[in-house]
Amino acid sequence: MSRDVSLGSVVRSEWIKFRSVRSTVVGVVVTLFLTLGLGALVTVLTRLHWNVVTPLQRATFDPVSTSLVGVLFAQFAVGVIGSLFVTSEFSTGSIRTTLSAVPKRYELALGKLIVLVASMFVIGEVASFATFSIGQAIFSGVVPTASLSNSSVLRAVVFAGLYLTLLSVLAFSLGLLLRQSAACISVYVSILLIIPIIALFLPTSWQDDMRRFLPSEMGHAMISTASVPNNFGATTSLVVLVGYVAALFAVGVVVFTRRDA
Amino acid sequence: MITVEHLTKRFRDTIAVNDLDFEVHPGVVTGFLGPNGSGKSTTMRIILGLDRPTKGQATVKGKRYAELRDPLHEVGALLDAKAIHPGRSARNHLRSLAASNRIPFSRVDEVLEFVGIASVANKKVGNFSLGMSQRLGIAGALLGDPEILLFDEPVNGLDPEGIRWIRDFFRSLANEGRTVFVSSHLMSEMAVSADQIVVIGRGKLITQGSIDELTASAKGSVFVRANNHQQLLNALRAKQGTVTEQNDDGLSVSDLSAEEIGQIAFDAGVVIYELTPQRASLEEVFMDLTSDSVEYGSTGVRRES
Ligand SMILES: Nc1ncnc2c1ncn2[C@@H]1O[C@H](COP(=O)(O)OP(=O)(O)OP(=O)(O)O)[C@@H](O)[C@H]1O
Ligand SMILES: [Mg+2]
Repeated sequence: MSRDVSLGSVVRSEWIKFRSVRSTVVGVVVTLFLTLGLGALVTVLTRLHWNVVTPLQRATFDPVSTSLVGVLFAQFAVGVIGSLFVTSEFSTGSIRTTLSAVPKRYELALGKLIVLVASMFVIGEVASFATFSIGQAIFSGVVPTASLSNSSVLRAVVFAGLYLTLLSVLAFSLGLLLRQSAACISVYVSILLIIPIIALFLPTSWQDDMRRFLPSEMGHAMISTASVPNNFGATTSLVVLVGYVAALFAVGVVVFTRRDA
Repeated sequence: MITVEHLTKRFRDTIAVNDLDFEVHPGVVTGFLGPNGSGKSTTMRIILGLDRPTKGQATVKGKRYAELRDPLHEVGALLDAKAIHPGRSARNHLRSLAASNRIPFSRVDEVLEFVGIASVANKKVGNFSLGMSQRLGIAGALLGDPEILLFDEPVNGLDPEGIRWIRDFFRSLANEGRTVFVSSHLMSEMAVSADQIVVIGRGKLITQGSIDELTASAKGSVFVRANNHQQLLNALRAKQGTVTEQNDDGLSVSDLSAEEIGQIAFDAGVVIYELTPQRASLEEVFMDLTSDSVEYGSTGVRRES
């Protein structure tokens, strides 16, 4: 007879938990609102000011990354979704009930990871394809537009959704490590906002070498069609970011498995 | 069956559980008794594999909890009724638990009905009273129809009707041959609901056995009424009797049996009107047993054992 608890049953259980709390619903609405809202705002402003844009700026203009820029704001919302998915279990104490039903902790962590990745991938891709399409519609007739039939355009739009997915897992992994919602979200925001600001005070040569390793810069590279100066290319950025997230998740699972619940 | 062997758990500077050994058997309700901070909850968390013991081990049916194949079918537990996400409905909470162990959702409705909260199944748990949360926690423990049940202070927050309901319920679970392990810091509660008890103080085992054995072994006293209390008192003292209470009605004597007191009175020429052996109440037994190991005494003075 097969075991009653398996990865599949854990995924079903975690999916019920994920969708049955308001914080997830609010998080998803905010993610879509930030991606689409800021995307629309930036593309409308670009269209209105297109006649005063210099020829040099026109030459380097990327209609794709401009329309996807909302993703770099929505990354905070997906971070909250990812961290609360695990920290709320610790803050409410429900982790003990959860673990008495699923005692193998790596199985629980993996089940949660699958639910988070699958749902954030869908939401991330919906958000990025929608904001891309709305942005091109706003540009059309005045500002040069891009088409999904171009493979590097399609790649940038798909990567934008992947970036959001990966960042939610980054926050989730921090949650496994830190357990407290406030601590987890503070560290997450620090990684995305504070460290890049600190980096600004370093000598320029160091900055050029260092910035490409920052997750937010990788996001920038991933949503762009052309390569960004001093950054990794889009695919390298994706691979390095997956490496970061996988390493942090692995550390999170090890710590989660060892510590008292 | 639950087996705890040489169990020790240290948190930084406190030893919460100290070389604890006991067994919990099927077919009876076993009470787990100890003053506040004596290590009951910690022991239960270790049994459930939530905390890692510093030394020793706790097993369920001979296996460590994490090795159980179908945890909810084997063990049902309620540790802290309020430890549920407040924003989720009772039904969704139970469904998520059920799904993890492949328990059909029809069983969720069954247990909700059974504990009497079916009418609020779709309400958010955050609005539940403590008593309703306790019932929801019990529903969760029953989901997988387990052979072994653990409850940490389950009567907290229940009204008298609820307390009676839960006592009868524990009794019926035990009568079905299940292992029922219930913690409490109230001896009076255990006296009416448990058959066996395990008493701990400061993480150490103080005693274990049946409630009846425990009361029998407790120091009793004998109440005596006689024609001359002063003369009797002197005679008893000469024979190493301890008079714990003296008033116009009579004397309470410990350390001597009724037969010995009768003989002493006869030898001293005192006429006895009444001679009644008195059994210590369980509450007294408990106070007596744990007086040396109360972690947080009301005097605020930490007594060393
Ligand atoms: N996670 C923890 N970290 C540090 N100390 C702890 C921890 N959990 C329990 N303790 C300490 O261990 C001791 C035993 O606590 P425990 O909660 O097991 O007692 P208890 O018998 O359940 O008490 P109560 O009747 O109050 O529920 C206490 O001194 C407590 O402060
Ligand atoms: Mg306790």
